[in-house]
Amino acid sequence: MDQNAARKLLVEALARVSQGDRDALRLVYRRTSAKLFGVCLRILGDRSEAEDVLQETYLTIWRRAAEFDRSRASPVTWLVAIARNRSIDRLRAGATVPRMRPIDDATDVGDSTPDPLEQVETAQWHRQLADCLGELERRHAAAIRAAFLDGATYEMLAERMEVPLGTMKSWIRRSLVKLRACLER
Amino acid sequence: MSDEHTMWDEGSTPLAAEYVLGVLSAQERRDFERRLTREPALASEVEYWEQKLGVLTSEVKPVEPPPQSWARIEAALTAHGSTARPGGVWQNLSFWRWAAIGSTAVAAASLAALAYLERAPAPRQTLIAKLDVSGGQAGFVAAIDPGRSGLIIVPASVANVNQRVLELWLIASGDHPRSLGVIEPGRPARINLPAELIQLIAADATLAVSLEPPGGSPTGLPTGPVIASGKLTKL
Repeated sequence: MDQNAARKLLVEALARVSQGDRDALRLVYRRTSAKLFGVCLRILGDRSEAEDVLQETYLTIWRRAAEFDRSRASPVTWLVAIARNRSIDRLRAGATVPRMRPIDDATDVGDSTPDPLEQVETAQWHRQLADCLGELERRHAAAIRAAFLDGATYEMLAERMEVPLGTMKSWIRRSLVKLRACLER
Repeated sequence: MSDEHTMWDEGSTPLAAEYVLGVLSAQERRDFERRLTREPALASEVEYWEQKLGVLTSEVKPVEPPPQSWARIEAALTAHGSTARPGGVWQNLSFWRWAAIGSTAVAAASLAALAYLERAPAPRQTLIAKLDVSGGQAGFVAAIDPGRSGLIIVPASVANVNQRVLELWLIASGDHPRSLGVIEPGRPARINLPAELIQLIAADATLAVSLEPPGGSPTGLPTGPVIASGKLTKL
């Protein structure tokens, strides 16, 4: 199945989910659960927590499929955003003590192969973001990546990178402005 | 608009980027989400960053979820039926935790259920169900006697329900959930089945346990998260 066909399949399945079609939700689950579970697991660091959040994620998709707007977002982006938001909310609720990952985990920019689902739509965006992250100071880019992939708060990032909280906030906010400018080019 | 971001905004709305990036506290996230519902420009900003930063997740290795994960989702859909509400309790499962005792407890629970059954006459078949919680561990083992008058449910894990109670539900195929009553965490319970429910009890019906406020669900339908579920099967 080529990329456009895969994307079209997901878009159509989400439309059917919004009408209460459970088989369509099962199809969405089959095609996306490994990716979303990976995202939840990365943030929560605990399989059982991640499985709970995965359940919440698909129930949210079930309820909110009508809100998906194919003209504004790709299906995978939309699904990933739900999984990340649920995971971060769970993390903030304190059910899981976040694992302290060495910050080096996050310092390499764009060095992994995009998974097949990602290729559906994001290969070129990935390159663009990697390039723009590459223009940031190395530790700032690492902080951005750690924040996004691990769901770390400013406080956690400051502790992990051993800088004052104010410094971390300033790094991230300035980096976001620079990123935006770069992405707009 | 008096938060610390205002002065820094300069039209680029970094708060939306910070929200998507995931660096805000729980309270800041709730506050921001309230604004999102009223400010379409902010929502567009969030979509922008979700699209731009979202591609980073392509570097996260996909992991197959456990095989029973879909069954749990389907059971939760069944248990909630059309009563699922946006913004409901699914978003807050964090108040409960399971601590599995292990497989010996499951075996003991099964034996306890069987010991109970052996005392009953057998005009019909006995029905049993293993109610799985997260990770595929058995949360409860339940059995319904052949006369369909009583159900015994034995916990196989310890639940910390934190000011809530456990409520047991019967969901017959095509029917809405029917409460079988509140059960105590950590203790076996025998429940007398109401006569009007007996006809609904059959293999393929689902038993589910949800977390509810003290006294049980105020609506007569599950209002809290389903923490364990399983189908009845003939013994």
